[in-house]
Amino acid sequence: MIIIGEKISIIAKKVREAMMKRDPLPLQELAERQWKEGANMIDVNIGPAEDGGDELMAWMVRAIQEKVPAPLCLDTTNYEALEAGLKAHNNQWGRPLINSTSNDPERFSILELAAKYNSQIIGLTVGKGGLPADAEERAAIAADIMARAAEYGVPLEDLYLDPLVLQIATSQDHALKVIDAIKMFQEMNDPPMKTVVGLSNISNGCPKNIRPILNKYYFIMLMNAGLTAAIADAQEMTEAIQEKKLVDDVLAGKKIDDANKMAEITKTLDVIMNKTLYAHSYLEM
Amino acid sequence: MALSGVEIFKLLPKTNCKKCGFPTCLAFAMALAQGKVELAKCPDVSEESKKLLGAASAPPIRMFPLGTGDKAAKVGGENVLFRHDKKFINPSVFAINIKDTLSNDELTKKVEEVITSEIDRVGQKLRVDAISIEFASGNAQQYESAVKLISEKAPNTIIILNCKDASAADAAVKIVAARKPLLYCATEENAEAMANIAKTHKVPLGVYADGLAALSSLTEKIKGIGVEDLVIDSGAKNAKGILELNTQVRRSALKKSFKPLGYPIINFVLREDPVLEACIASVAVAKYGSIVVLNSIEKWKNLALFTIRQNIYTDPQVPMQVEQKVYKIGEATENSPLLITTNFSLTYFIVAGEVENSKVPTWLAIMDCEGLSVLTAWAAGKFTAGKIAQFIKESGVENQVKNKELIIPGMVAILSGSVEDKLEGWKVTVGPREANAIPTFLKTRSA
Amino acid sequence: MSYVIPKETCSGKVLSPDFGKGSKAVKIGGENALPFHSFDGAIPNKPVIAYEIQDIFPDDWPDTVKNQFSSVSDNAVKWAEYCQNELKAQAIALRLSGTHPDRGDRSPQDAAKTVKDVLAAIEVPLIILGSNHMEKDAAVLVAASEAASGYNCIIGKAQEGNYKTIVAAALAHNHKLIAMSELDINLAKQLNILITQMGFDKERLLTDPMCSALGYGIEYTYSVMERIRLAALMQNDATMQPPILGDVGMYVWKVKETVATEAEMSEWGAVAERGITWEAVTATSMLIAGANLLIMRHPKAVETVNKVVEELV
Repeated sequence: MIIIGEKISIIAKKVREAMMKRDPLPLQELAERQWKEGANMIDVNIGPAEDGGDELMAWMVRAIQEKVPAPLCLDTTNYEALEAGLKAHNNQWGRPLINSTSNDPERFSILELAAKYNSQIIGLTVGKGGLPADAEERAAIAADIMARAAEYGVPLEDLYLDPLVLQIATSQDHALKVIDAIKMFQEMNDPPMKTVVGLSNISNGCPKNIRPILNKYYFIMLMNAGLTAAIADAQEMTEAIQEKKLVDDVLAGKKIDDANKMAEITKTLDVIMNKTLYAHSYLEM
Repeated sequence: MALSGVEIFKLLPKTNCKKCGFPTCLAFAMALAQGKVELAKCPDVSEESKKLLGAASAPPIRMFPLGTGDKAAKVGGENVLFRHDKKFINPSVFAINIKDTLSNDELTKKVEEVITSEIDRVGQKLRVDAISIEFASGNAQQYESAVKLISEKAPNTIIILNCKDASAADAAVKIVAARKPLLYCATEENAEAMANIAKTHKVPLGVYADGLAALSSLTEKIKGIGVEDLVIDSGAKNAKGILELNTQVRRSALKKSFKPLGYPIINFVLREDPVLEACIASVAVAKYGSIVVLNSIEKWKNLALFTIRQNIYTDPQVPMQVEQKVYKIGEATENSPLLITTNFSLTYFIVAGEVENSKVPTWLAIMDCEGLSVLTAWAAGKFTAGKIAQFIKESGVENQVKNKELIIPGMVAILSGSVEDKLEGWKVTVGPREANAIPTFLKTRSA
Repeated sequence: MSYVIPKETCSGKVLSPDFGKGSKAVKIGGENALPFHSFDGAIPNKPVIAYEIQDIFPDDWPDTVKNQFSSVSDNAVKWAEYCQNELKAQAIALRLSGTHPDRGDRSPQDAAKTVKDVLAAIEVPLIILGSNHMEKDAAVLVAASEAASGYNCIIGKAQEGNYKTIVAAALAHNHKLIAMSELDINLAKQLNILITQMGFDKERLLTDPMCSALGYGIEYTYSVMERIRLAALMQNDATMQPPILGDVGMYVWKVKETVATEAEMSEWGAVAERGITWEAVTATSMLIAGANLLIMRHPKAVETVNKVVEELV
């Protein structure tokens, strides 16, 4: 399992401020912390970054890799910013990962960059206008992206398919559809296609106290489905791996000693599998 | 049972020849698995695979077109019971029933109403799609002449030959066979004759029987004669019958893979009271009626029925969008505030609703972001400072407001500086994060 | 192949609160099948339509519906009596619009008096609605609940932002309560949980997932209602088992299709019939999706929807 640390994101206020002020320290601290927590790669999300995205991305890549010997996941829709990031990236620590191309024509050309800079790339299985309805639609888009990757000269081993995790608080039925898609993607090539998810989106919009619970158990279910990589909270994922046996026991219908834990796992799995309707207070029911 | 895309892929030639229009055999297989393309598009598939795939890729509810040309309509092909699971595919066809006993003038007038029923709503052309010509006279010649007249006056409209008399039907079909009319209908009494007419002229056939047990044996019998494009009528007339029997048909086809009922449904609503007819028809639209036959065709009723059909058949995965423009809410003047948000319809309805609640006249700029909500649109690079600035400049709203101040959603507070940089002479204010805070926000400002 | 009806039995059942008192009290809900699927299970109670009236003259209603009540709508008591006696209303929904800060800002005491007067004049059950102003409703509905003590009314609407005081008032005076959320099934469930966690019995609750007019988001309401019903029946989710309210009239009688005259929109046809049909089709769709109680305005629309209900049961 490849864990891609998610914390360096423009969505976080602290990160945003550091980015604006070009203050490397908070970013380096975050990168180092995630590295220590077990992240194999560090995600660098600068958002759409319309203005000066190229200079910003190059600066971030250098700042982070100065302190952490890890490959980076370059996360933006901005072509120039990606190219600048790829140029700046120190491949000595491993190959970078572009986040991402998709079935939206605006994002096709990003594949050029993967080919040109020998980078790995995420293929997000969404098209223009509308979300995929189920695993089958995700697989159909995946097939299109795979064909396009071949056209652009990107080997399928370098393509990570991302089924797009949606928020359980608003799109509960997709939690299971994403798990099915992960299984389906792997069957689409031999050797199996690699897969990745932006994990924490599952609990986006949920109360703070239940976010790690949903993240962890969902991660375990995805692991069981054969997931290759996750953009996630490294600390949480390390914990998840420690708790995996308990969850697997519950999944296998076994009882576990800790009754509270048992209830927490059972209720959460029921929500993930769409057997009970999600509500913020689902653990209290 | 249906095969998965990967299972289908294994049966394809794997040449990636692109003759099917897809870049690879894998992509073609995935589309095939979803019923989005036909196997016939692959010129090189082996006979053996064809056999295996043919049975597996047959949809649970048969799909075929009625009519020809650009006003043809597909019926059937549905995959789900509830619209939130996945899009309902082929919107109900609305037909108006006309009796052959009407005078030529009356017939002409009715046809005229059908032809002029077309309106434009949210970018879609909507119309009464079909004319059902009822054999009410009992006189084959009169029927033939009515069919002739209507088919001439309405050269593109779908025709339903509503006639149980085989010899009258045979004569009428000959006039319009090339237009793929629906021949309605075969019953237990006339099944063989009607099936043979449909077979000879290659037209779809309606099948009527009282109740679903009788109906399913009748469709089997007709299929045995060699007609497969069938439309079924369980005899349901009132709202309860329509809801219950249509539901049973859809469930049987989808959940039990019961082939004898795997066909699109026709419902005859036919009421004297047009408001009641509209209501019963809307039950049929929501509950799986593929063809809904009506008595009357008032403009106001059409509007309501076209709208409910459009709403029910909206793809739940594709966010409904509203038109990009600056909306005037209340009696907005040059001194009123200007808000901006994305064109996701739910965002629009809720924001516009809260602005209305505030009673503060306001300009609401709705920007095309492919129907994404604010934060998603921003993350996807569709609601960025550059694009907002460009939209505001091109919208011409500058000439509508005196005070060049743009209020952006609190969710994208981060954009305020860069929008200001790109919109010279404008002040950018960060509004509330949630719509329900809008009334207080607007009222505090205007106070 | 022989044909077997594909029946589905549900593990859950919709709750069946009653409201009003005496012989005119009505009961809604109670079904253990999807809406009108009587081949699957029992549908013990028909959906009920309540006529909407207001505590102030409805100057914001379009003529088509305003003119129906022109002789009575200056007075809530007359209006209520007219609905009960002339229109044979099964229930009345009194919307206290006049308490809205922008529409007269009538005091909670004023509103309480109107409630008392209306209750004294009618025998059919009463639904008491605020003006949809979060803060003001909290005060108004507390006073209204007290004024209606003993009448077993339905009080609404409690929303995420103001439910606590309203729940407490409904609890203290033994009323039924509408819990409203905005087109989000998960928030609808959450609000029901929060309300029951205050000790309010779920058997006394109604869910309003927010109505929408035909052409203006009705598909969202339709699907949220269908999903609430599926959760209640198929998943036996107790928090989703209260009956559903469709507050139809207020969403319908403001959209362009019910307002624009034929002179303005010639391809839309006659405005009066159009408005009536708009309300009737919206209401019918809500019933098909799972609504147990509707609030409507136009007598002809109500009459038609009642005919639809008679056909459906």
